Amino acid sequence: MKRYDLVVVGAGPSGLSAAIEAAGRGMHVIVFDENEKPGGQLFKQIHKFFGSKEHKARVRGFRIGQELLEEAGRTGVEVCLRATVIGLYQDHELVVRIGDAIEHVKGDTIIIATGASENMVTFEGWTLPGVIGAGAAQTLMNLHGVLPGKRVLMLGSGNVGLVVSYQLMQCGCEVAAVADAAPHIGGYGVHAAKIARCGVPFYLSHTIKKAEGTDHVTGVEIAQVDEHFQFIPGTEKHFDVDTICIAVGLSPMSQLLKMAGARMADDPKKGGQVPVCGRFGATSLPGVFTAGDVAGIEEASSAMIEGRMAGAAAAAYLGFMNEDACEKREKQLTDSLSELRQGMFAPQNKGKQLTVTDEGIPLSKTLLTKGYVSDEEIEAFPGFTHRVGVHPVIECTQNIPCNPCQDVCPKNCISIGDQITALPKVAGGAECVGCGMCVASCSGQAIFLVDEDKGDGTAEVTIPYEFLPLPAQGTVGTALSRSGQPLCRASVVQIRSGKAFDKTNLLTMSVPKEFAMRARFFRADKEAAK
Amino acid sequence: MSERIAEHPILGKIEKGRTVKFTFDGKELEGCEGEPIAAALKVNGVMVHRYTKKTHQPRGIFCAIGRCTDCVMVVDGVPNIRTCITPLREGMNVQTQYGVSPLTFEEQAEKYSR
Repeated sequence: MKRYDLVVVGAGPSGLSAAIEAAGRGMHVIVFDENEKPGGQLFKQIHKFFGSKEHKARVRGFRIGQELLEEAGRTGVEVCLRATVIGLYQDHELVVRIGDAIEHVKGDTIIIATGASENMVTFEGWTLPGVIGAGAAQTLMNLHGVLPGKRVLMLGSGNVGLVVSYQLMQCGCEVAAVADAAPHIGGYGVHAAKIARCGVPFYLSHTIKKAEGTDHVTGVEIAQVDEHFQFIPGTEKHFDVDTICIAVGLSPMSQLLKMAGARMADDPKKGGQVPVCGRFGATSLPGVFTAGDVAGIEEASSAMIEGRMAGAAAAAYLGFMNEDACEKREKQLTDSLSELRQGMFAPQNKGKQLTVTDEGIPLSKTLLTKGYVSDEEIEAFPGFTHRVGVHPVIECTQNIPCNPCQDVCPKNCISIGDQITALPKVAGGAECVGCGMCVASCSGQAIFLVDEDKGDGTAEVTIPYEFLPLPAQGTVGTALSRSGQPLCRASVVQIRSGKAFDKTNLLTMSVPKEFAMRARFFRADKEAAK
Repeated sequence: MSERIAEHPILGKIEKGRTVKFTFDGKELEGCEGEPIAAALKVNGVMVHRYTKKTHQPRGIFCAIGRCTDCVMVVDGVPNIRTCITPLREGMNVQTQYGVSPLTFEEQAEKYSR
C-alpha cells in the first residue's frame, strides 16, 4: 500500500490549492481526481473573476486553472487522473478505482475537496433529451466546442444561470428567457444586466410547467407561481426551444466524509449535508481536512483560499510547519477570505432581502426583477456621472467584493477605497484619458466610457463587447437600451482589442446625444453582420 | 441540429483531435478523436442515447460530466458506457441502448420469448 504525507481527493480549485500549499512545505502529496483532466470546473469558467488583485480578479477562470496546474507541477504535486476515490476508511485508508483496478492508499493527512453536484427540479418531461444541467452546457460549449443547442430556456437566475446564459450567447446560442421561481434574481445584478441589455427577458416568480416533445425537447411552457410556489392558472407562456438548461443550485458532495464517520450537519445555508468543521477545514476526524464547496457552497475564489488553509493546516498537523509559521499563514489567508465574504451576497446575507446599499442608496427594484437598472434608478449611483468630455460611467449598483476598476485606472479617476465592497465613485478633478482599461477590466462589464456631447449632436459610448463576429469600424446598426430595447441608429467608430483587455473588445459607437446615457449595447444590422 | 463552434470570442479556436469515423446504429458518422462520444453524437444530431428498461422513455445527455448516467449506450458491445466521459476512438461501434441491450425492445421480446 502506497503511503503519502497528504492525499487530496479532487483536483478542482480547492484541492489543487491545498496540494500546492502542502507540497510547497515539503510534503509528499498526491491528488486523485475522477476526471480525464484536472482543474474541476475552472476550465469551463471563461468569464473574468471578481475580487481584488490577490484573488486574481479580472483573470478568466480557465487561466487561473492553467496557473494552478503549472504551480502544482513546479511544487511536485502528483496528480492521478481517472481515479475515483470510492472509500475512506479507518486509519486514513482510501480505496481508489484507477481505470479498472482498485488500489489502497494511505495518507497521513487527508483533504477532501470533492466539490459539489448540481441540483435538479422535476417537471413534466424533465427527463427528455434536451433538458440539461447548466454545467453540461458549459462542458459542451467551453470544453468540447459543441453548441449545447440553438435556442435555450434557462431555469435559475443565480450566478450560474446568469453566467451560463451569457456564455451560451457568446458561442452563438439564442437564450429565449431566464426563468426563476424566486421573486428576485439571485445572482449578481451586473451578470443579469449583461444579458438583459442583449434583449433576454427575465421571468421571475415563474417556473417550468412542462418540457414539450416526444423524443427530445421542442418547446417549453413556463407559468407564474404564487408565494407558495403554486402555479397560477392562465399565466402560462410558451417558448419554442430545443434546450432547457437547469441552474438551480449545487449540493456538497460530502459522501466520503460521511462514510468515514465525520460529524455532519444539515445546513441549508451551506447547501445541504456538510462536515462540521473546526478551524481551517479540520473535520471531526483527526488529520482529515476539507476545503471548497464540499464544506459549503461558495465559489472558486474562496475555494482556492480554503484549499490553501487546509493545506497549511495539514502541514502543521504533521509538523512540516511550526506553530508560529502556521498561525501567520492562516491569519493571512483568513484576512483574504474574509475580504471575499463581504457585501450583499456574502454567506451571512444569504436569504436576506436587502433594500439599500451600504451607502444608503435604494437598491434597484427593476434590476432584481427584470435584470436591468431603470433609467430613473441609475442616476442615484455614485459611479453614474455626467461630465464634459470622455469619462467612465459605472453602473455598479450592488455591494460586491471587487475592485479592479480602481486598480487599473492610470489616472486614478475611479475610487472604491479600502472597503472592497463599496460602490465605485468617479473621482472629481481627475482627468479620464479614455484608455478603456476600466471597461475591459470590470468583471461585471458594468463600466462604459461616454462622451456625452461631441459638439455635432452626437455622443460616443464605449461598451465591452465579447461576441463574434466583431463589428468592423463603420458598421451600422441599432443601439440597445439597458433593457435590450432598440433605441436609435448607431455606427461603430472604433474597435479596440488590446492584449491587456484579454478578449474584452472595446466597441465605441456613435449615437444621437440624447441617447448617450441610455445606449448600452450594439446590434449590427443583419446585412452588415455578414 | 447542433454544431461545432467554429471560433469562440474568448477561447478562439477550440483544439480538437483528428477527424475519425465511427458507427452509430450501423451508420457511419464522423467525430473528433478524443472528444466524448456524446459530443460527437450531438454534432451529428443524435439526441436519444437510450430508452429506459421499464417504461421505454428516451434519455440523452444530462450532466455531461459522468455523474448522472443518463447518456449510457452500448459501446463496442459493452452496455452502460457513459458516453459523456468516454473518449471517441476510430472505428468505435456505438449503439442505442434499449434497457441494457442494443436490441430493440421488439427484438428482445422476440428473442427471449422463445
